[in-house]
Amino acid sequence: MKRFKHIPQFLTWLTGITAAIATVGFAGSTPANAKIGSCTEPIVFGTTISESGPFSTLTSNWRKMTEIFAEEINKEGGIKLASCDGKSVPLKFAIYDDQSVPATAVQLYERMASVDQVDFFVGPDWSSLGGPVPPIAERHGIPIVMGNVATPSLYQRGYKWVWGTPAPAVPRWSERYFDMLTHVQPKPQTIFFLTHDNPVMKAITAFWSKKAAAQGLKVVGEETFSADLKDFTALIAKVRGAKPDIVYLSSFDNPSVPLVQQLRQLKVHAMDVHHTMLTGALAKQVGNDLEGMTGELTWFPSVKGPYADLFDRVMQRTGITMFDSIWTLARLDSYIVMIQAIEKAGSVDREKVQKALYKGTFKSPAGDIVFDEHGFPDTGAFTIQMQNGKVQVIWPPDVATAKPMWPSPTWQ
Amino acid sequence: MSIDVVLQVLVGGILVGGLYALVAFGLSLIYGVVRILNFAHGTILAVTGVVASLIFARWQLSPVLIFILLVPSVFLLGAVFYRGLLHPLERRSPLEATIGTVLVTVGALLILSDVTAVLAGPTQRNIMLRSPVIEVGNIVISVTQLAILAAIVVMTLVIHAVLKATWFGIAVRAVTQEPIAAELCGARSLQVKTLTFGVGSATVAIAAVLYVLTFPVDPYMGFGLTVKAFTIIVVGGIGNLPGALIVGVLLGVAEGLVGLFWGPEWSPAISVILLLLILVAFPAGIRWRRG
Repeated sequence: MKRFKHIPQFLTWLTGITAAIATVGFAGSTPANAKIGSCTEPIVFGTTISESGPFSTLTSNWRKMTEIFAEEINKEGGIKLASCDGKSVPLKFAIYDDQSVPATAVQLYERMASVDQVDFFVGPDWSSLGGPVPPIAERHGIPIVMGNVATPSLYQRGYKWVWGTPAPAVPRWSERYFDMLTHVQPKPQTIFFLTHDNPVMKAITAFWSKKAAAQGLKVVGEETFSADLKDFTALIAKVRGAKPDIVYLSSFDNPSVPLVQQLRQLKVHAMDVHHTMLTGALAKQVGNDLEGMTGELTWFPSVKGPYADLFDRVMQRTGITMFDSIWTLARLDSYIVMIQAIEKAGSVDREKVQKALYKGTFKSPAGDIVFDEHGFPDTGAFTIQMQNGKVQVIWPPDVATAKPMWPSPTWQ
Repeated sequence: MSIDVVLQVLVGGILVGGLYALVAFGLSLIYGVVRILNFAHGTILAVTGVVASLIFARWQLSPVLIFILLVPSVFLLGAVFYRGLLHPLERRSPLEATIGTVLVTVGALLILSDVTAVLAGPTQRNIMLRSPVIEVGNIVISVTQLAILAAIVVMTLVIHAVLKATWFGIAVRAVTQEPIAAELCGARSLQVKTLTFGVGSATVAIAAVLYVLTFPVDPYMGFGLTVKAFTIIVVGGIGNLPGALIVGVLLGVAEGLVGLFWGPEWSPAISVILLLLILVAFPAGIRWRRG
């Protein structure tokens, strides 16, 4: 027992050190100091970003981007408030790292509501966080416009203060791609769905496999795979056996790395292999294997919709591109929608902003955002194809930067 | 379902199973001699694989050179890890030593994974060499895969020969069977254990370089591999290399067939299911007949 006699002393030290770290941590975090309803103090948006943990690869530089966004808005005068005689009020963010952990996100939103007393919530991202966070907004009566929370069912829980700007929304994810399939020659007849075991990806497959069938495409296979799977031989053997015209990969970019590589290695032939997350990160990981593949891109700077210049400027100053960081549009949309709602309400009165969010159309560089009765948007995406190592928009034709290479020569 | 599809899956299963067996060799060797269950064993593969792919991406070195560079380094790190962190625990009571080794190896697993993720990023990486493929009917086998299979067979034979015919092998068996008598005969138990830990780690480094030539690795994939290696040594028998190779290949093939007939999302679970079934069916272990 002698060996354990120092344990109480050790625990005292440990408690002291933990308390000191916590004090320093809270002192170092962003104090918001919001004054609700003020015409002089900044309007504070409380948000969390997954700066660490598994989703951190998707949010590179977002803190800097958010700060630059506030700077750019404030350079143009800030947020106009009719209740302050048309005076503009600066925008400020309270930003925390949710560590990609739902429980941490819940604690941080609770803290922003109770301690920081932020005016409004924007973010978080990802469906795993988008489930537990909205009840906090509901309890405190704070309007929240979430970013990349794309699972429709999460919005259908009778919330009154919750909206989201995922881009693209599941029911419009591959809308333009399937439209393109009706126009290309030779016309594809069969399709095989390969789905990453994730709520959003499964929702995409569930929706678009029905649409494909309704469009006359025969669904010759549907397989699900876990994010940890490295050896896709069995799954690809099934694809080869089914000989589909289209292979549709509904997956986040990182888990699909071995799948894309092994599709090439095992010589799969198809008219096209389509990826729902054809991103710059994936291109860096698999290189030339992406050549000829099609995918979705929510927005690109040559589409000059409302706020396109602002978004382009913010992204350029931050040093990120849409292809490298495809989730950026939904993030920035959550900020710009909240600003428009406040300006429509003419006040920081949360109930008035809530009413403004219920009605109306909100502007975004990729097109108008209209929410359904659950606060879910209708944002679409453009169809892209990797051509000679570059990403080209191929559909719809009115905004295309190149013609589709069809059937994709690299899969012949 | 055509026979070609099943044969394609069998080929893939043999390849991946051979790699599992190579991972299990090291774990089996370490447990057989040092009596430590190294929970960080699979993580050594993951981290070495990440380092190998980074070296390839940065300098485009040949995989053979990467192999020559990494295997001795991992041997050294394994030996230092044992001498520095695990050996001191042997002075404790058996219970404290057992708990201590679990804590140290699990701690090493967590630290290695997180540090690698912070330094290299959590994304998947590999050395994807575009080699010619051989097509037999509808079955596709790449030359890289064939080379990996050949390397696995050669490595198995080399390790088997080292254990049977060298001083190190004799010392390993002596320390395993009768440590005091081995010490009296000149086989210093500490040196043998340190060397064994180094060799066990080097074996997993060999598997890592072969693994990244065909599958991607990420810093957090190690524990799943360790569980598979545990299954292989429990079923194949501690220190039984041919047994480990057979069970490894069977496990790889089982994963492939489960993926084919049941769904790929079930493949990772098959090693645990297999382990539980065998523990229930053969509580005293499977006895492999010799000769």
